[in-house]
Amino acid sequence: MTATVDPVWGTDSPRWRRRVAADRYVSYLLPLLFLAVLYPLLDLIYWIGAEALPTLSWRTLTTNPSGFGGGLLAPITGTLYLIAISTALAGTVGIVAGMYTAEFASPRVASLGRLGGNLLAGVPAIVIGYFGYFALVLYTHWGMTLVAGGITLSIFMIPYIYRTADLAFGSVPADQREAAFGMGASRGQYLRRVAWPIAFPRILTGIFIAMAIGLGETAPLLFTAGWNFVPATGLSSQTSYLTGLIWLYYSAPTDFGTELALAFQAAFLLIVIVIALNVIVQLIAERYRRRLRGLFR
Amino acid sequence: MTTSPTDGSTIPPASEASSEPVPPPARRPPTGRKRAGAVLTAPLSWLPLLFLAAIVAVLLYASDFHNFGLSFWGPNWFPDPLDPASASYGVLVFAVGTVLTSALAVFLAGVLSIGLAISLVMFLPGPLARVLALFVDLLAGIPSVVYGIWGYVVLAPYFANDLEPALQSHLGFLPGLGGSSVEIAGGTGLLLAVLVLTLMVVPLTTALVRDSLRSVPRALEESGLALGATRWEVVRRVHLRYARRGIFSAVLLGLGRALGETVAVFMVIGNQVRFPPTLYSGTSTIATLLVGQFDSAFIYPDLLRALVEIALVLFLITLAVNVIGRRFLTDGGLGRIALEAGPEKAAS
Amino acid sequence: MSEPAAPEPAPVLSTEGLSVFAGSREILRRVSLAVPEKKITAVIGPSGCGKTTLIRAMNRMVELSPELRIEGTVRYRGRDIYAPEVSPVVVRRRIGMVFQRPTVFPQSIYENVAFGLRLDREEEDAVERTVVTSLRRAGLYEEVKEDLDRPALSLSGGQQQRLCIARALAVNPSVLLLDEATASLDPIATQKIEEMLRELKGEVSIVLVTHNIAQAARTSDVTAYLHQGRLIEMGATSELFEAPREKLTEAYITGRFG
Ligand SMILES: Nc1ncnc2c1ncn2[C@@H]1O[C@H](COP(=O)(O)OP(=O)(O)OP(=O)(O)O)[C@@H](O)[C@H]1O
Ligand SMILES: [Mg+2]
Repeated sequence: MTATVDPVWGTDSPRWRRRVAADRYVSYLLPLLFLAVLYPLLDLIYWIGAEALPTLSWRTLTTNPSGFGGGLLAPITGTLYLIAISTALAGTVGIVAGMYTAEFASPRVASLGRLGGNLLAGVPAIVIGYFGYFALVLYTHWGMTLVAGGITLSIFMIPYIYRTADLAFGSVPADQREAAFGMGASRGQYLRRVAWPIAFPRILTGIFIAMAIGLGETAPLLFTAGWNFVPATGLSSQTSYLTGLIWLYYSAPTDFGTELALAFQAAFLLIVIVIALNVIVQLIAERYRRRLRGLFR
Repeated sequence: MTTSPTDGSTIPPASEASSEPVPPPARRPPTGRKRAGAVLTAPLSWLPLLFLAAIVAVLLYASDFHNFGLSFWGPNWFPDPLDPASASYGVLVFAVGTVLTSALAVFLAGVLSIGLAISLVMFLPGPLARVLALFVDLLAGIPSVVYGIWGYVVLAPYFANDLEPALQSHLGFLPGLGGSSVEIAGGTGLLLAVLVLTLMVVPLTTALVRDSLRSVPRALEESGLALGATRWEVVRRVHLRYARRGIFSAVLLGLGRALGETVAVFMVIGNQVRFPPTLYSGTSTIATLLVGQFDSAFIYPDLLRALVEIALVLFLITLAVNVIGRRFLTDGGLGRIALEAGPEKAAS
Repeated sequence: MSEPAAPEPAPVLSTEGLSVFAGSREILRRVSLAVPEKKITAVIGPSGCGKTTLIRAMNRMVELSPELRIEGTVRYRGRDIYAPEVSPVVVRRRIGMVFQRPTVFPQSIYENVAFGLRLDREEEDAVERTVVTSLRRAGLYEEVKEDLDRPALSLSGGQQQRLCIARALAVNPSVLLLDEATASLDPIATQKIEEMLRELKGEVSIVLVTHNIAQAARTSDVTAYLHQGRLIEMGATSELFEAPREKLTEAYITGRFG
């Protein structure tokens, strides 16, 4: 990097040096912006862990919350029930709707369907919560129930599964498709034997992502699922859930009982589950990428 | 395969007007009974649109079409169940809170994510970029209520004891950063809400900006480089120019998310009903009002109606923001990076 | 097997034992050739023989594909363009490139041509002068002089390609590499570009990759024939087309494959 005048390349102007230097600085400095997001992320994980781990024990998982502490049994089972209901509903709707959009719908209808899905994903959670309260709690006279919470949550999850299913069915390689129909397969046979095996892993990633999102939602459940200090006993009983427990206890004074610790433990569990789901999604996506690369060459 | 991946000839010609979502090419099969399958599956694909309509219908119905008159947009929020005549349901304070938090958060998130996306696309080696993208993605997966408890228990004391007094004494001359030290209170307030909100919006905007930078044809990028531009110059003069619609839409979709974020903001914003005199001050947003007062509204019909109408307004505004944002987007853009690792990308 | 046509004046650009690998696959095999100054050098050969890779190696564009590995030397006026102290940015200033499809930026005609000049923050009237002369040299000026602020994307394909050439010329390169620059154009647009290239060659050395054998015969002074990554034959265009020394060359130019 000497500043001697070069007869062949002829570049020694200050402007030239500034340009090259700017490029070099930016290429080093810009990635440092990642610190601005990585640092808070790690700080959050660190603190949640630090507050939760010292008091986390087997009892946490096996006892119910009480006024002064206890464990997370009821919220854990509640979250599992809610996710089971909402995944079953949103999964069915999302997969079938995605299949229709990718496979049967005219381009117009397909793009309308996609628009609907994408816009639904943008509806604020609290608005869906209000909707769930009126539509499923009040007007049905069910009251706050596990099933009302599950259905409300599923509205939130549908767009994610719908979109991945749509993409997954829509991206079955054309030659696979033509080969199937060329051999005289019916549409049903094609969907079952050819499209589904190819699309399934990808749909699964959509389902896991939707589960991670549903798991972390609070607002749609606050006015639909109710609350319960013991595990829900049926679809029509009220239920607690992990996010709700945090919501309830986050502002509890630290010197009064162990509610705050319990809230942190719930947060810790949620993070662990979310990270686990993310890892699973990545593993599936990775395997899937490799498999598809073969198909697309 | 006769085109080589290096000569740019496989890239479709530059076209600015690729705003419509690109449907997969129509692929009609030569045979197959379409009717039955289509009829059975069609209704479910209308469900999302149906839900949107149902939300409007139910909220309208639940509001009794009550007309609060002009005072609805006024600054006085004064629900009084005992004396309905003197009660006032002005939502201006909350609207201002929403606008302030969302605008600031989206501005920060936008700037940050443009930098992150440029790094991911242009400056970081592939494997490192993938790992970092995963971390950003993880940020999107953290539940709001977890952000909330972290903000309330961990960050708020730090804000109250260290950050905000320091800002106040060093940058107090700037608008919003000065004021009385009383405003700092427990550390909850506008500033903390903006910070938490920024973190929550950044993954979405980063993924979207990254995708729109990636949509810049390779051939254009190479043309810039072939003219003797540095990578940074190409980013500035080609990518950012070409992708500006996509960036605009990323910001709008980020705004859509920020406007509706409820739980985390509620936990860290302080929830005073007033216009915030400083960035440290506690205030409220429309979403925090909706979540904070619904319980008590069960027995006060007027308050319930007011809240429902506010919910409807929030819904319509976010819907509009999303519709506009999506008009500039080529992809569905749910903003999950993992979703994007699909076969289209894998194949190229 | 392959030797430069004439060892006359020093070549502006030369390769010595240039190989490019994609993994273990050798897509360019020890190619040594010399590009004479201020002439048109055509590079012909069947699809996939490595023409694009060859010229992309000549201005370090190959480096943009991290999966490719380069061996051998490329010299510009005797200087190794891959030497560690040489920046690719400088190389590409001296050795410009035009692609197969027109790649205009979504800006005005004027701003497209000014792109390279803006990087150096030149004075606006200097920029303007260069824009006009570059458009002239590319034979486009008369067609667009009415409105230089029109979006470049509103031009026809042939005009866009000439705009790309003007844009490349504006930064005053000594060598211009064209990768099948007329392949996507109709015969009239192609003819215009060929005429323009013949006029240009007094000022710039041109390397013209082409699928079109007739175009190579019509326009070039020197032709190189590439086959499966190897340089089979290189020589004065007239000689190569009238009396090819290699069987492969003959087979290709008489249309038996490719
Ligand atoms: N980045 C790459 N990775 C792997 N293989 C490559 C890469 N670039 C080129 N190749 C392969 O190298 C060979 C030569 O490619 P190149 O594009 O140079 O040929 P070409 O002569 O320009 O062909 P065409 O006439 O079709 O443009 C081809 O077989 C191509 O598939
Ligand atoms: Mg080529």
